[in-house]
Amino acid sequence: MELFDNLLLGLSTALQLNNLIYCLIGVVIGTAIGVLPGIGPIPTVALLLPFTFGLEPASALIMLAGIFYGAQYGGSTTAILVNVPGETSSVVTCLDGHEMAKQGRAGPALAIAAISSFFAGTVATVVIAVLSLPLAALALKFAAVEYFSLLVLGLFAAVILAHGSVAKSLAMVFLGLLIGTVGIDVNSGIARMTFGVPALADGLDFVPVAMGMFGLAEIIANLERPEVRQVVSQKLRDLIPSRADLKAAFPAMVRGTFIGSALGVLPGGGAALPPFTAYALEKKMAKDPSRFGKGAIEGVAGPEAANNAGAQTSFIPLLTLGIPANALMALMIGALMMQGIQPGPQVMTEQPALVWGVIASMWTGNLMLLIINLPLVGLWVSMLKIPYRLLFPAIVLFCCIGTYGISNSAFNVWLMLGCAVVGYFFIKVGVEPAPLLLGLVLGPQLEENFRRAMQLSDGDPSVFLTRPISAVLLGVVAVMLLAMLSPAVLKTRKEALAE
Amino acid sequence: MRIVTRRRFDWPDLLFGFFLIAVAAGTFAATWRLSGGTAADMGPGYMPRAIALVLLAFGAFFAARGFRRAYAGIERVQLRPILGVGVSVGVFALLIESASLAAASFASIVIAAVASRESRFFEVILFGLFITAGAVLLFVKALALPVAIWPW
Repeated sequence: MELFDNLLLGLSTALQLNNLIYCLIGVVIGTAIGVLPGIGPIPTVALLLPFTFGLEPASALIMLAGIFYGAQYGGSTTAILVNVPGETSSVVTCLDGHEMAKQGRAGPALAIAAISSFFAGTVATVVIAVLSLPLAALALKFAAVEYFSLLVLGLFAAVILAHGSVAKSLAMVFLGLLIGTVGIDVNSGIARMTFGVPALADGLDFVPVAMGMFGLAEIIANLERPEVRQVVSQKLRDLIPSRADLKAAFPAMVRGTFIGSALGVLPGGGAALPPFTAYALEKKMAKDPSRFGKGAIEGVAGPEAANNAGAQTSFIPLLTLGIPANALMALMIGALMMQGIQPGPQVMTEQPALVWGVIASMWTGNLMLLIINLPLVGLWVSMLKIPYRLLFPAIVLFCCIGTYGISNSAFNVWLMLGCAVVGYFFIKVGVEPAPLLLGLVLGPQLEENFRRAMQLSDGDPSVFLTRPISAVLLGVVAVMLLAMLSPAVLKTRKEALAE
Repeated sequence: MRIVTRRRFDWPDLLFGFFLIAVAAGTFAATWRLSGGTAADMGPGYMPRAIALVLLAFGAFFAARGFRRAYAGIERVQLRPILGVGVSVGVFALLIESASLAAASFASIVIAAVASRESRFFEVILFGLFITAGAVLLFVKALALPVAIWPW
């Protein structure tokens, strides 16, 4: 059984003491930023990227992945206790989770959320292991033409399935692609759009871009709104859910896990889309839908399971094809490249210990999360007492030090400042910055493969349509774009993505 | 900065459109010396200009749409947060190499705090000292960032 061999190989990597420690660091940081509403996983991962440079590739990825799924756990804790979703993915958990807390059932709600997340995380780990092999085998057949079409599909799908205006997001992808071309052209060795700045010769670093647009711009926008004080009124008594609770929650947990696993694989799905879908499904399947919004335990179990499963399966396109499903996965690609590993289908065969180690670490990480979240929930909640007026200067400083640390150059700090101003402008005109980051990270690969394909076909663009795999991939893009123009689909999408 | 006088134009669309047009124009200006080459053998200027063309089209589309659509405003820009955070980052960039990590950190915390109306003077000074010490320990001692700790 190749699958078992692979999982065992992964476990042997994930269970090494130093990797367990990095996993623990990752999930603890993840839980903390999940609890704190002012900062999300994207700037945090960007901030820590420069410091993973000295680590083993597996340790670096294990820690960064831990931040991502740890944040999903932390986000639901605050959603239930104080009705503040720490992350967008836990918005739905507020609906019934906080209602349960108001009825004095905060303990069972937290426990069910954690158990659902753990269950989903475990199943999703197996799903990743099963799906990775055939996908990676398929991807090895890819040449430049197919790879270009796949990248196009990934970018378009990420834009269409994510929230926000499709046209604006597409424009942002192209903006990202454009700034991705800054730097020395690999084929001719000529500097493009560097404006004589030597620091730009290697291209625009995406860490300052991500920190400026996601970290600093968010802070500036947050400061314009008056601060809302959070009061934790609930006393936590017993955490153990009753047998009836478990019985009601279990089917929802299973359904949520499968929805999450399926949607997480899709580009743009990530962790945000699955919980909404799972909640809608639970409400539709319930005998008495009116219970929802009034503390229905299925309304906690389903979305929580979906959100964790989705967070994990969104690693599948990254690990097998080298295509990020969302902005956070784009940062993971960056982490790989920093380690000198070119992301793509060959990573699975060349670095099996790395890939399977990361997959197996998700299971150990989920186990750690279960332990550090349930008994220590009081500690995490007390973090909410830190006022934002103290939190944000510290985040600003850490962003500065982090960007400076990438290459010890003040230029990156200035670049981050510029990106913060542009990011603030994007917030004001209501444009999502995530597609830009995807474009920036994938831009160089896209250009490289496009040029190689055009060189081989002697400048004939029809090659993208005459090679079958490429034609199918581009066909999917065309169908998606056409579907977006139909009013019926447009309406469903709006409803599905509305908060 | 408030734009409310005339009850027409979708300002977010209009501004985003103009922004894209400006970026496209800037790209053309910055790459006009680079050779484009042919599709089979692309020069360094091919891709940037091709992408800039697409951005130009998007920009024109949004600008035209914003021009025709009914009024939609932009939330008022407040100067205090953006200046506080902006100056804080700028001062950090200036001080980190000329002075030291401790000086840059402390200055950046104190200046950033000005961005919020709720900051209190003594609290910020204390907190700044505390975080500066923490940053030095974490980044220089634990993560081995090669940077001077003290200005002397």
